[in-house]
Amino acid sequence: MGTPLLEITGLHVLVEGKEILKGISLSVEKGQVHALMGPNGSGKSTLSNTLMGHPKYQVTQGKILFQGEDLTALKTDARARGGIFLAFQYPTAIQGVSVANFIRTAMKARFGEKFQPKEFRKELKAAMASLGVDESFATRYVNDGFSGGEKKRHEILQMAMLKPLLAILDETDSGLDIDALRTVSEGINRLRGPSLGILLITHYQRLLNYIEPDVVHVLVDGRIVRSGGKELALELEAKGYAPYETAKTEQKETVPQ
Amino acid sequence: MSLPDHLKQLRRNARERYESLPWPTKTDEEWRRTDPSLIPSIPADWEPTSSGLKAGWDLPTQDLPSGVILTDLETAVQQFPELIEEYLFQSGTPEGLAKFVALHQALATQGLFCYIPDGVKVELPIKTWVEMVQSDGAVFPHLLLIVGQGSELTLIDERRPAADGTTPVLSDEMAEIFLKKGATLRYVHLQRWGPSVTELFIQRALLEQDAQLLNITIGLGGRLTKAEIETVLSGSGARSELLGILFGSGRQHFDFRTLQDHRAQRTFSDLLYKGALTDDAESIYAGLIRITKQAQKSDAYQANRTVLLSDGAKADSIPMLEIEADDVRCTHGVAVGPVDEEQLFYLMSRGLPHLEAEQLIVEGFFDQVFKRIPMEALREQLAAEVRHRLIHHG
Repeated sequence: MGTPLLEITGLHVLVEGKEILKGISLSVEKGQVHALMGPNGSGKSTLSNTLMGHPKYQVTQGKILFQGEDLTALKTDARARGGIFLAFQYPTAIQGVSVANFIRTAMKARFGEKFQPKEFRKELKAAMASLGVDESFATRYVNDGFSGGEKKRHEILQMAMLKPLLAILDETDSGLDIDALRTVSEGINRLRGPSLGILLITHYQRLLNYIEPDVVHVLVDGRIVRSGGKELALELEAKGYAPYETAKTEQKETVPQ
Repeated sequence: MSLPDHLKQLRRNARERYESLPWPTKTDEEWRRTDPSLIPSIPADWEPTSSGLKAGWDLPTQDLPSGVILTDLETAVQQFPELIEEYLFQSGTPEGLAKFVALHQALATQGLFCYIPDGVKVELPIKTWVEMVQSDGAVFPHLLLIVGQGSELTLIDERRPAADGTTPVLSDEMAEIFLKKGATLRYVHLQRWGPSVTELFIQRALLEQDAQLLNITIGLGGRLTKAEIETVLSGSGARSELLGILFGSGRQHFDFRTLQDHRAQRTFSDLLYKGALTDDAESIYAGLIRITKQAQKSDAYQANRTVLLSDGAKADSIPMLEIEADDVRCTHGVAVGPVDEEQLFYLMSRGLPHLEAEQLIVEGFFDQVFKRIPMEALREQLAAEVRHRLIHHG
């Protein structure tokens, strides 16, 4: 195997002065799907925001290498143009900017001169159809008044159009009913291929019934406490995160009532 | 140029008023936020040494209906003295700017005159402009616009910079708009003055019964703009929608005051002004809704939003109400703040550089004004104009 697509070593991250990630290491190869699972507050979203370069998240130690290149000094937009994509857990609304205009502008930024404006409409229409999204979607304002399911489809629509090399899917299953979950998962599975690496961040195992991971990591209190194959997800489903949280729980119990 | 006697008299009176009124000071409410010493002092007997302004227009491809007059003000004064006598300088004076209205009336000779007789619908939009030709200190553009009973007009009226736009110049402008019973006017004021212009802009629109005005003001140019935009709803059922877009960069300063003056029952006004400021630009917006006792069952709305794109940019927004009637609906709201960081992050996470992300957010922010412009071609033209400024400012 050559250079991993994504290689994180000993990553520590501060958010508003508080350390949330306390030394994370993981490595994603091209074509792999890694699931990162953990309870609320374990630092899952911190990792996704850090990978995307959110200015509020401060890397104090460690390295993030993307295709062998250190990302930490790169701004968010440069990371995106380089092929990193984050599907947001809570994508924000941008009034007055249509979905079509937004995606077109993003594609121009991502592909530069290789962007084919003439093909754009056709391509967008096809991508929307395969995600079961109505055509009128293109003229709606970005995430404005979208249902939970529409927001997640919109994220995957962008992923399909922007063709990233590394996709970080942050709780893409949250807020989806079973039908929407299936459509969105199918959308993601269609994009799987030898050149794409996926980091799937989720609280629940159910998404992994639809998108089969190669590796599963368990994140608790800012540290990866265990990694394994897909069977690890099933174990978590059965036993929950409690066995990994004992230390934390005990600490809590010593607090006087 | 020989002027009709009544006009000579008006000018003499205006000159006397100008000379007797005190120069404003920073303690005057109107001038608290715009230093009056920044306004160049022009003597009332000032005489221009160059042509100063050029007025022009593009007619729609089809002929104008008969009776419609569109010409420059100098020609109108000579050819239509009765109309000039009836309307010119007759729309009233905003109190706070009385001195500069007087100066304008004493010296204004140039500008545009447009008259639509009763019962005439001009189907296609007319484009007019006033261009600064050679500035030697001051210009006094005037727009006189009369839309007759039941008539209809769309006018896109632009202020264009001089080719050599570096000499400091004062523009003391007044626009007078008369809408007769049941008249409909869509009026766009697109201000693209050059960066060395200090501008006073006074607009008075008088609406008779059931008249409808869509009044769009787009402020892009100038070094300093002090504007007073007043709509008087004097006939029952009159309706006015007031939209504004401001974009300021460098050290531009905008001071916009609006008045929604409801004087008859069942009148309606709805104002939405949006601004975006970058660099060290600043804006002040002060909007007054006034509803007199006679104006029962009226609706008045006002909203002002400003987005600040730099640490140096500043904006202030002051809504004011003066309501004497008890059966009215009225709301107002203001907001000033920076670009939403999560929106920026979202767009940048899709590859847009910071500046481009910001531009897209501001375009979207302005779109909420543009989407209220009913004519698609006009909407796109204005959006393109603003987009151009957003991208090429500074």
